[in-house]
Amino acid sequence: MAETPFKISIPQALLDRLQQKLALTTLPNELDGSGWDYGAPLADVKRLVARWMDGYDWRHHEAQLNQLPQFTRPISVDGHGTLDIHYIHRKSEVEGAIPLLFVHGWPGIFLEGSRIVPLLTAKLDDHPSFHVVVLSLPGFGFSEGAKKPGFNIAQYAEIGNKLMLALGYNEYVTQGGDWGLAVTRRIAQLYGGKHSKAWHTNMVFGEPPADFDPTTLTPEQQAALARTEGLMKKGMGYRHQQSTKPQTLAYAMTDSPVGLLAWIYEKLVAWTDRYNWTDIEVLTWISIFYFSREGPVGSFRIYYEAMGNETMAMQAFREAPAPEIPLGLSHFPGDLVVVPKSWSRMMGNVVFDSEVHDAGGHFPAYEQPEALAGDLRQMFGKGGPAYGVVPGKSGY
Amino acid sequence: MARDVIKSEICPKLLTGSFGNPSAGALLTSPSSSAYLSSPLEMDPETPFTLNISATQIADLKHRLELTRFPDELDEAEWAYGAPLADIQRLVSYWQTDFDWNKQQAVLNEELPQFTRNIDVDDVGTLEVHYVHKKSELEEAIPMLFVHGWPGSFIEARKILPLLTATHPDVPSFHVVAPSLPGYGSSEAPTKKGFSLDQFAETCHKLMLSLGYSEYVTQGGDWGGLITRRIAIKYGGKHSKAWHTNFPVCNAPQFTLNPFHLITSFSMILDLLWLSDFEKQALQRALETERIGTGYLRLQSTKPQTIGYALADSPVGLLAWIYEKLVGWTDGYKWTDDEILTWISIYWFSRAGPAASLRIYYEVNAQNELVPSVHDVRPTIPMGLSYFPKEVASLPRSWLRRTGNVVFDSQHDKGGHFAAYEVPESLVGDLRKMFGKGGPAYGVVAGSTGFKLS
Repeated sequence: MAETPFKISIPQALLDRLQQKLALTTLPNELDGSGWDYGAPLADVKRLVARWMDGYDWRHHEAQLNQLPQFTRPISVDGHGTLDIHYIHRKSEVEGAIPLLFVHGWPGIFLEGSRIVPLLTAKLDDHPSFHVVVLSLPGFGFSEGAKKPGFNIAQYAEIGNKLMLALGYNEYVTQGGDWGLAVTRRIAQLYGGKHSKAWHTNMVFGEPPADFDPTTLTPEQQAALARTEGLMKKGMGYRHQQSTKPQTLAYAMTDSPVGLLAWIYEKLVAWTDRYNWTDIEVLTWISIFYFSREGPVGSFRIYYEAMGNETMAMQAFREAPAPEIPLGLSHFPGDLVVVPKSWSRMMGNVVFDSEVHDAGGHFPAYEQPEALAGDLRQMFGKGGPAYGVVPGKSGY
Repeated sequence: MARDVIKSEICPKLLTGSFGNPSAGALLTSPSSSAYLSSPLEMDPETPFTLNISATQIADLKHRLELTRFPDELDEAEWAYGAPLADIQRLVSYWQTDFDWNKQQAVLNEELPQFTRNIDVDDVGTLEVHYVHKKSELEEAIPMLFVHGWPGSFIEARKILPLLTATHPDVPSFHVVAPSLPGYGSSEAPTKKGFSLDQFAETCHKLMLSLGYSEYVTQGGDWGGLITRRIAIKYGGKHSKAWHTNFPVCNAPQFTLNPFHLITSFSMILDLLWLSDFEKQALQRALETERIGTGYLRLQSTKPQTIGYALADSPVGLLAWIYEKLVGWTDGYKWTDDEILTWISIYWFSRAGPAASLRIYYEVNAQNELVPSVHDVRPTIPMGLSYFPKEVASLPRSWLRRTGNVVFDSQHDKGGHFAAYEVPESLVGDLRKMFGKGGPAYGVVAGSTGFKLS
């Protein structure tokens, strides 16, 4: 079936409404010297709002985004009807390139995967090439969202798998972090072997072994664990809110541009590693959320459906049998959860385990595309542990 | 509920989830209020205050409401995901058009005599505090400090005020002071980090002293409960003579290495075997709230500024944020749209803005004082406890008895978190029993028994 090209074209009325609302922005004050401790700092937010109003041309950035090869396709999901799914798709010149599905998380978007597309699809003598599909999860970007309760990880996985099949990729590999990890893990569990042949993630977790001796941790590992603990204690309010009362939050986030800006900006900074966000980048990222097909609320619901009963969800996640297909791990020092590499072997059939990179956080495809692409090339390239995992599509 | 269900279901939840962290230790500070001891004759005259929101502010609100952008909603979501769309759209429409703030404001001003006063808080400076003050006709009425919480305000006093200040030979009468906490209503907010629970207590205590009430009693729920508890600890005996709360919360058993704590914790677990049906249901409700109803709490305790931007900028955002609690935390209370919007307009039009009201969560959480601990120092003054069935944080009686000197304890079959507003007669009835003739706290304030000196 032929693909239906898609171009982002936000109605002028919505752009005008955004400007009207920005002009009315009322900012709270801030406690003296609060820095980032209480949330996104006032000076940053004020500056970003001012830029959003004057000095940020959405149409220009919309045109740039439209240089990405975007498409939409109706995909049916058992029990949920048909959803119109938005995605990027670029084929490599190399016919035997490896089909790869990239799945973002929250507050990720399709834009997150756009930088690795040219790297992975490049035709290079020394490295495998990939056909890349960047999925907009239902409810994110320009994908339609679920209309009924109960659209859970298995349903997101169904969408990902069906999209790849619809594009003629009966066998493929996946890459994902954040919710992308949960979704690609489920793809590996449900469709592994038959369709998904290998999976790679940059969001690594793990638990200490039974005979764990804390004194064996290196200072770097201790610092990383302390940072993770700090983030879990002080940075998870958004998750509790989104997984229990996403609708209540939605009114504020749909209506208030500055509200949405602060909500997402706080994570864009806290979860990246020495990444120098420009104001333009931030505003484009947040504009996509503001203009998204379902609005911001579409992106919250995955939390409710998948984590509504958080203790149970965490337990189910841990206890579910690890997928059997080969797994690759990339370790980035600035991610939310950074554990000693040996702990993460329990994630699955780990065949590739990168060194800890010098830099990079929760969005490495965006922050450190060369590093992430490098890991994928190593994992799937000649001599690599997952070389030739897709029969007939070795990447060369 | 079977004994083994309690052990296998409730205990693990209590042990792994928690209702907060135990206090790091007792915070016994000697009252620094000696400078404020003054007789009524030396009291500075009160500065009357009327709420008077400008036409510009009202027009701005309506303009924003007109530009509201609504989310969609999942089919048949009802309340499962949060405040329902139909409710919010109806309220926004009314708020924008026919809701008459000026009329509601006038009624508030008439019912609630308000004032402002500068209160000097140690190491902070001066805060201008907005408060309601209504004296009984009876000179010997008992001075009572009523403290609201979040998302409450001074408006919570409006129904109990006429009942408490009424004079009748059979019931005690009260002089009532109901402040807006710093950062709420028309009270100034602190501008520096670290404004602690003790500083909220100090502010309220000094307000009482400044009004000539050297000895007083207190009533509070939500933050008001936690603040009046600190008042009872810091100023109890000398100034605060008894305290009553409708917020029966304390921490869950903690299994630390401290042997005394361990003994207490084990006793508390054993107590679970003898819960009444009311207490079992209350505990289930508390656990359920902890599971799905504390997103706002965790957010406000960690990133109040981040969510603050939305609440300060978006009336619908603020409306939904608070409305969800007004419905979720009450016992079938039939809110009118006027009530809801008046309540929330107080937040919207507040002096410091809605974002400031959230910071108490951060400061108290940062100091690990979110929930009073049974291992804490306990106030020695008489304590009253009222249990309402739909309170969201309602823990067993036997546990609460460990947190204070409980002399009065009641249980109702109607009412929730905002008892003073939902079931004012019940709450006042309890206070009358506690402080009335023959009651366990009768005459705690010498010379101000609530009855005529005969």
